[in-house]
Amino acid sequence: MGASADQVVPLRPESPDQRALKDYWSVYEAHFDDIQVGIMHELAGDPDFAAIVKMTPPDVQEQNSKKSRATMRRAIVEGDWQSYWADLKVQGEQYAKMGLSFRAWFKAVGSFRTVLSPYLFEAYGKTPQRLLAVIEAMTGLIDRAMAVIGEAYLATKEQTIRQQQDSLRELSTPVLQVRDKMLLLPVIGVIDSHRAQQLTEELLLAIRANRARVVVLDITGVPAVDSRVANHLVQTVEAARLMGAAAIVTGLSAEVAQTLVTLGVELGKLNTVGDLQGGLEEAEHLLGYRVLQDSPDIRQIHPAA
Amino acid sequence: MQVPILKQGDVLIASVQAALTDADLVQLRDQLTEKVGRLRSRGVIVDVTALDVMDSFASRSLRNLAHMVKLRGAETVIVGIQPEVAFAMVQLGLRLEGVLTALDLEEGLEALNRARTSPTRAH
Repeated sequence: MGASADQVVPLRPESPDQRALKDYWSVYEAHFDDIQVGIMHELAGDPDFAAIVKMTPPDVQEQNSKKSRATMRRAIVEGDWQSYWADLKVQGEQYAKMGLSFRAWFKAVGSFRTVLSPYLFEAYGKTPQRLLAVIEAMTGLIDRAMAVIGEAYLATKEQTIRQQQDSLRELSTPVLQVRDKMLLLPVIGVIDSHRAQQLTEELLLAIRANRARVVVLDITGVPAVDSRVANHLVQTVEAARLMGAAAIVTGLSAEVAQTLVTLGVELGKLNTVGDLQGGLEEAEHLLGYRVLQDSPDIRQIHPAA
Repeated sequence: MQVPILKQGDVLIASVQAALTDADLVQLRDQLTEKVGRLRSRGVIVDVTALDVMDSFASRSLRNLAHMVKLRGAETVIVGIQPEVAFAMVQLGLRLEGVLTALDLEEGLEALNRARTSPTRAH
């Protein structure tokens, strides 16, 4: 993704009036410091923005504003628009990374117009033609700037979402051998069809590889279980059975149990046990294990004692 | 292709070597139900390790076979269903209801022993 700045479709024809832009620039440059103060004042009441301003040290703020001033000069006076758009793109990405809300940066860019307008009026109020051209140029510039920043902002946000999705998928389900012939499959996160399939395949391969006879499927970490998820579970259990392994499903919470019964999902074929501990005990029982507790070794539990 | 049926003690072992036609399946069923009585077998193992596909007819035939053998007084275990086959079967809704399954021949023999000591326990 990440459309580069020069791919942004101009919202208005590319700087039709060089003179108007230069007029705009001369006012902006003349009142640069006043305008900065004005914008800060404008945004001071905004909680999102105030936090960001507070987080950024004054010298960095100063540096940033100098830099953006220089870039804008190069764009308007020398015609170097590329670095101007690139700079805005970086800004958009930073806003997204800082967690600044869409509303907040939109307001920040918008406030520029509010603050600058009186100065433009002061300079060109006597020549309406010129004033109109300057306002037109400024609006066009700000619209384009918004488009560039917005695009970069959204692209960065989307990238974050994609990364999270990927990491969630990679965090897919480990199949653990707990005892001889006994596997544990802790399922965490949302189960969709794709994941259910992946999960079942991994489980079946693990059953063959470990010669498992009992599998404990723990769904404590599955946030929502609806009829579709339940159906996936039933399929996984049936597939395990075809491979000769009995499956025990654990971790169905009270809410989940109520939902499933209300939905009329038939889970009668599933061997369900309340919690993981109970499931492991049941699995041990099926395999014929008997666990005996010896007197606890206190020194191992509390090394300092 | 005909399926060889071996007698091992009181267990019959049918080891499927290659893909089976519908006729082969019917023949297998006939032979097994007949031999169970004649050889006084207590258990039957059908090893399908070599099968990489199991359609609805094969699955239904195996299920019927298991139920018929049961009526003849013996227990049937289907062994060696491969992961991919198991997955495909479940997707198709072929579940071999009421039939014992096991990972491989060894586990199958053990399952038969267990079924014999506690005949009501079938998972």
